[in-house]
Amino acid sequence: MTNGSDDAKEIKEDYTRFRVPFGPLHPALKEPISFRVVVRKEEILDVDIRLGHVYRGIEALAENRNLVQAIYLVERICGICSHSHTTCYTQALEEIGGIQLSERALYLRTLIFELERIHSHLLILGLIGYDIGFDTLFMFCWHVRENVLDLFEEITGNRVHHAMNTIGGVRWDLPHHLIEKVNVSLKKIEKSTKYIYDVFQDKTVEKRLCDIGVLSYNEAQELCVVGPTARGSGVNMDVRRDYPYAAYKELKDRFSVVLRDGADAYTRTEVRIFEIFESINIIRTILDELPNGSIFMEESVLKLMRKIPEGETVSIVEAPRGELLYFVKTDGKGGLRRLKVRTPTLANILSLKPMLIGGEIADIPVTVASIDPCISCANRITIVDNDQSEVRVIGLEDLRRRGRKQWTP
Amino acid sequence: MDTIVALFATFPIVFFFSLLFQGIDRKIHARMQKRIGPPIIQPFYDFIKLFNKERMVPVTAASGIFTVAPIIAATVSILGAAIPLVNLITGTSIVGDLILVLYLLAMSSVMVMIGGSSSGNPYGAIGFSRKMTMMIAYEIPMLISIASLSFNPCFSLAYYDVVATQIRMKSLLAFTRLSMAVAATTFLLCMPAAADAVPFDISEAKTEIIHGSLIEYCGPYLALIKLAKDASNFALVFLAATLFFYVPALFEGYVSLGLGGTLCLCLITALIIMLLTITVPRTIFARLKIGQAFKFYWLVPLALSMLCIALSIVGL
Repeated sequence: MTNGSDDAKEIKEDYTRFRVPFGPLHPALKEPISFRVVVRKEEILDVDIRLGHVYRGIEALAENRNLVQAIYLVERICGICSHSHTTCYTQALEEIGGIQLSERALYLRTLIFELERIHSHLLILGLIGYDIGFDTLFMFCWHVRENVLDLFEEITGNRVHHAMNTIGGVRWDLPHHLIEKVNVSLKKIEKSTKYIYDVFQDKTVEKRLCDIGVLSYNEAQELCVVGPTARGSGVNMDVRRDYPYAAYKELKDRFSVVLRDGADAYTRTEVRIFEIFESINIIRTILDELPNGSIFMEESVLKLMRKIPEGETVSIVEAPRGELLYFVKTDGKGGLRRLKVRTPTLANILSLKPMLIGGEIADIPVTVASIDPCISCANRITIVDNDQSEVRVIGLEDLRRRGRKQWTP
Repeated sequence: MDTIVALFATFPIVFFFSLLFQGIDRKIHARMQKRIGPPIIQPFYDFIKLFNKERMVPVTAASGIFTVAPIIAATVSILGAAIPLVNLITGTSIVGDLILVLYLLAMSSVMVMIGGSSSGNPYGAIGFSRKMTMMIAYEIPMLISIASLSFNPCFSLAYYDVVATQIRMKSLLAFTRLSMAVAATTFLLCMPAAADAVPFDISEAKTEIIHGSLIEYCGPYLALIKLAKDASNFALVFLAATLFFYVPALFEGYVSLGLGGTLCLCLITALIIMLLTITVPRTIFARLKIGQAFKFYWLVPLALSMLCIALSIVGL
């Protein structure tokens, strides 16, 4: 961490520059992340990105639980792409244990996966509207998103944390009458998304999004960005096609990867809108070709869990925000030795610096929203003591010690 | 003396209508977004609740200016709304009171800016600079459009003279001459910026600079600032409704309408103007950036106001 007081001194000498704290609490940010932005009038001169305000110790917690309990724990990493996390985690376990899933289970897993992509993209489209001051668009996108959430509730019983995945299959089947319902909802969503695309071509919206937060092809490759952020800059990558998992092995020729090379916030938005259409197509294919069979293994999950040997593997999926990576190391006794999660936001967050520098203050929220950040990894607390005018950082070790002191009688 | 008493007697009326207009605006805005929206009297609840909250002044603030600014802002904007109302009721006015009203309304904006920048918060300072830029952009065309009234024979800068002329001509001012139509358009185009509504709410953009000047205000001060904004919005729509679109003038038996009928018609016109110039834009547009807004105001309304002067001189 840089020394705060030195920075302050350096900036004090130049009265044309302001250092504006942007976050961790800011109406444009839904989760705590902090940017220290140095501005001259409206122009951004420098950006310092600070992560780490919501440390929850999930990786450490998972190591204290058994493999099945950890499924429900990793689901809580994110409220938007909860299914991506469990898919990634369970498919790692299945690979270590050599468990073969039935076709139907894989297809259902993919179905929820694509529904989740639709709802995640609609959410961020709404938030982009909100960030450019277009509240109506925000309300409309979230209104459409309700359709997907209702479908989740009908299929899995839950709107946000679906608890669909388990080792060796999925927990809920898709009965015939629900297939009809999904089809009806898809039609509604498709129509509304077309309308949303029209609204995004409105002149005031274009003025706020075009040529904002430009991330060139070279920068995108250097910074290893993933997902729609990369595809918006012309980087041709999609885990679903490159390293197919679940049902994408059969479906990979049935959808196209949305690729644009505009490299600005508008292009990233456009990529998301067209990905919604692609997702709708994938879901329709899945519904048409849904194979018969059982959706989980005959053995109970706990028995399966005990059979998983010691081993390690890396599993990747294409979450709505990009490539999500899990490193899983099991101990052979139904527990985890190590769990490492690399969320897509962590890969994308560094790209904010080249995007923001040279822009205006007004562009910060929409640029940040355009990479669809989802903040979930951290390691410290900053304490600001105004009376003694000092800033202390409390590290993870300190926090742990304090936590233990609190709870030891 | 009577006028001054009448002015203060109008304060509660202005207070009531400005909050009521705000409530209607919020309700219709919500309905256009497929929401149920708050009840129409929500601004009254908000006002009462905010007034009962704790008063807090940040340590970094210049506390004198910080606390006085909202009070002045609320007083001048209510006064700005009360003057046309009283003039309409009593049927008298003094020369130049239109300039006074516009001055009072600008004063209210300036006071909010000063209060915000005295809070010591960098967002307050950014809000100040943005509002300053916006005021330069919209105040000039707005002033010119009002001032152009006096270029015409038989009009003056006295508020009631303009109203009386419309009654005499049995027509709305905006439809009498080409120059007046242009002036009315200019005035209406400046309304969203003067009311700090999307797409021109740049100075207090919620997602960009966290309400700019208002960031450190809370409790009674915030209530007063919100009241100041509502009252100045009410004053603006009421001015537009009576200066350019004085609907009671269209009725044959003007006297038979009575004071109540006249006021009702004016308020309804004001409401429609508010819907068209504040509520609808803020529902269907995204927020512009400061440079884009400035460019718009200097390209369209300023050019229109110049055209208005030119037309007036030619005598159209």
